[in-house]
Amino acid sequence: MDTADIETKVIQFISTKVENLDAAVIDRSSKFEDLGLDSMDTIQLLFDAEDTFGISFDSEEAKGFTSVGDIVSYIEKHQASSA
Amino acid sequence: MRVVVTGMGVVSPIGVGVERFWEAAVAGVSGIRSITAFNASGQRSRVAGEVPGFDPAAFLTPKYLDQTDRFTQLALLATDLALEDAGGLDAYAPQRLAVSVGSGMGGFSTFESSALRKFRDQPIPPFTVPRTMANSAAAWIAIRHKFKGVNLTCSTACSSGANAIGMALDLLRTGRADAVIAGGAEGCVLPLTMTGFEVLHALTTGFNTEPARASRPFAKGRDGFVMAEGAGILILEREDEAVRRGAKMYACLAGYGQACDAVHIVMPDMEGQVTAMRAAIEDAGMGPDAVEHINAHATSTPLGDVVETRAIKHLFGSRSREIAINATKSMVGHSIGASAAIGSIATVMALHSGTIHPTINLDEPDPECDLDYTPNSAQQRNPRNGLCNAFGFGGSNASIVFTTLE
Repeated sequence: MDTADIETKVIQFISTKVENLDAAVIDRSSKFEDLGLDSMDTIQLLFDAEDTFGISFDSEEAKGFTSVGDIVSYIEKHQASSA
Repeated sequence: MRVVVTGMGVVSPIGVGVERFWEAAVAGVSGIRSITAFNASGQRSRVAGEVPGFDPAAFLTPKYLDQTDRFTQLALLATDLALEDAGGLDAYAPQRLAVSVGSGMGGFSTFESSALRKFRDQPIPPFTVPRTMANSAAAWIAIRHKFKGVNLTCSTACSSGANAIGMALDLLRTGRADAVIAGGAEGCVLPLTMTGFEVLHALTTGFNTEPARASRPFAKGRDGFVMAEGAGILILEREDEAVRRGAKMYACLAGYGQACDAVHIVMPDMEGQVTAMRAAIEDAGMGPDAVEHINAHATSTPLGDVVETRAIKHLFGSRSREIAINATKSMVGHSIGASAAIGSIATVMALHSGTIHPTINLDEPDPECDLDYTPNSAQQRNPRNGLCNAFGFGGSNASIVFTTLE
């Protein structure tokens, strides 16, 4: 996956996790909070993202995730390091 | 002060919604089939009462799907249906609306799948604990509908649903709530849970190729109960308040009795059952001579059905054979903590419609089970009252009395 692909797929994934959320309104800068996800919802989101994208978030690092971009960047970095 | 049933919701192997459930029950339809929920080829008991076509995604948002166990999802659907049937409870302050739900196993679907992941060194879902905990169904009912009053969960194995309804009666009588959403839910058609019951020789094993014949309370050759899932929810209100808001009323919840065997952790004892039934009848202001219908606990285990028959004969004496008895589990199997809630709905419908649904698979009764169990065909008996029995592991016995509105 190239960077644009990852971003699109993460946005698409997040849109399925929140009721009535159109992928078109989500971008890399979207904060979880603004998408209607509380801190517990975010933990669930990251758990599901691990399965969906076949990755494993470092739990300490994931604690600091606040936006869509944090997930996208992590996957990009992870893919780069494992490539 | 009388307490009335103003709405009911049921999610069962023979139908979702009271109308479909009751139509199937009166027709004597079996909801028992080969297990589809998981690969059951390694189980000794390979039949169950699953709710066909149950799709939580059809009525729950992604957040609910992530954060709830199957038993909660079954409870939420039953609650939605019951509230719709009751015409909503907007007449009451949210702080006066209570929830009382029974479940024997709670969120064991989540527990089993998360345990499997953990033992394989895989990460577990973040909501493993809040999905598994027994009070999650009651809590999610409150969250979904903003019921801010008393919120209770009762876990007394197979009598959980009956005790939850009994606790609701107490809440209304003591003025702790104006309306209670009460019932039971269970989602344990699961490999570990079923194996646990198998090793106790509690489940049927001899009817794996004939599922519809597997649940056969009081019948000769019965060999254990059929595991089932489901939920039943009743809306209970004080009669004066229900009248004031113009609610339709099905029946009265008139009495509740409870007794513990204090003998054995799993084997039933007649004395505790007799005490619970007697206490419920007295609580309803009646005597044993007045009882006209019994929705029996009747799980289809060799011992349980005989002990319940003896208990009925002990309490009702020569009148025992005049009582119209039936076993809802002959069609839906045994949904543990939901079973008495579903049985209560069947009891209320018997009073409301006058019809006693049949006990199916009762072609040849066990000689030790010699009462009128309404074998194979429904009967129009127009009972004025009905007792719903629930006897659980732990020697936990509960009986509930419903009466017609007259």
